[in-house]
Amino acid sequence: MIEFKNVNKWFDKLHVLNDINLKIPKGEVLVICGPSGSGKSTLIRCINRLEKIQQGQIIVNDIPVHDKSTNLTKLRAEIGFVFQQFHLYPHMTVLQNVMLAPVNVKKLAKAKAEKIALEKLEQVGLTEKSAAYPAQLSGGQQQRVAIARGLVMSPEIMLFDEPTSALDPEMIGEVLDVMVNLVSEGMTMCVVTHEMGFAKKVADRVLFMDEGKIVEIGNPTDFFDNPQTDRAAEFISKILTH
Amino acid sequence: MLVDFNFRVILEYLPLFLTGLRSTFLIAVVSIILALITGIIACSCRISGIKIIKYPAIAYIEIIRSTPLLVQIYFLYFGLPTLGLRIPEIQTGILALMLNSGAYIAEIIRAGINSVDEGQIEAGVSSGLNYVQRMRLIILPQALGVTVPPLLGQNIVLVKDSALLSLISVMELTRCGQTMTSERFMPAEAFLTVAFFYMCIYFCLKALADWSQRKLIFREAY
Repeated sequence: MIEFKNVNKWFDKLHVLNDINLKIPKGEVLVICGPSGSGKSTLIRCINRLEKIQQGQIIVNDIPVHDKSTNLTKLRAEIGFVFQQFHLYPHMTVLQNVMLAPVNVKKLAKAKAEKIALEKLEQVGLTEKSAAYPAQLSGGQQQRVAIARGLVMSPEIMLFDEPTSALDPEMIGEVLDVMVNLVSEGMTMCVVTHEMGFAKKVADRVLFMDEGKIVEIGNPTDFFDNPQTDRAAEFISKILTH
Repeated sequence: MLVDFNFRVILEYLPLFLTGLRSTFLIAVVSIILALITGIIACSCRISGIKIIKYPAIAYIEIIRSTPLLVQIYFLYFGLPTLGLRIPEIQTGILALMLNSGAYIAEIIRAGINSVDEGQIEAGVSSGLNYVQRMRLIILPQALGVTVPPLLGQNIVLVKDSALLSLISVMELTRCGQTMTSERFMPAEAFLTVAFFYMCIYFCLKALADWSQRKLIFREAY
């Protein structure tokens, strides 16, 4: 479903993605972790071309993402993206936030878009907040709206860039619950996160990155209990003991 | 001192001042509308990625902002006819104010657009919205709030700048003051009256600004 072939990317001189080869099959939940600056956010941002790559190829559903001729609108509509800082549109209500893409990208009629949007809001448990503005919601609620906004386009892939890192500890659970629900629906997901409980519970594979390279990739049990590299072992011991 | 102040002459010249006020008002309104259009176009070109329209826009904005308005007025009024282009003074004046304010307005709008968080753009991009949709639905509504106050400030500046048109003998408010001064030699009465009328225009625009602050601008906090 998603394939990286010899992908290289530089920010000026910083080699931020170093020869990445990776296949993510349909329905897989991949958790990406690693120290900050290791390139994990950049990795998933390349999948819907929020970032350009300089070498190699990324293929999503047989479409080469970084080809000039690629219809990005169509591609991006099939990929939901959830940001660390939510990035809800502050001048729109929750419902308008969720309806925006169906109405303007898929050109659905307002009534139909609203129906779908309300379904997705129900899925994240926020139907009663549909008329509220983002500033009136808690961080956890905002992030759930952001997830609904991603889901409303019926994407085949959901990308999460540290979805719980900007949240108060007590709100992390509600967001993770929504994500766990998605997993049970068979969504293909790439999640950059340090929530190791989430990784152990639902991830099919855990990918550990450092300095732009994939250092280790494997199933969560192996990764946490028996890391193959010193770098991964050190990282795990740090995040589990803090 | 006040004893010497001649109100009767002011009353006598009131019809003249009222035509001056009317003329200043009309020049300002026309210039503001044209300057807004110019500014929007210049700003669109300035932020576009296409070099052949981006660089001329940068050149225009920088040339205007780096030279005095009076020089621009003199260039259009005295310079253009020698280059073979002859336009009446009122139109010359409006053209000068339009070009001058347009450059500042372009930068005000650009600052407003740039003030919108990068994440908003990324959120729009990720949803598949194209450039025009992102501008219309996400960026401009948020930019409006930070753009309207300096825009109205620029309009107030434009009204006061229009006084410079008296130097190319456009019969506007300041020119009326000059006329009365030269005919009766009463500069205090003349220019205090002129100042009074400018203040009237200023307070009208300010009331409009306050109203738009309350009505038009989206506020994030409640």
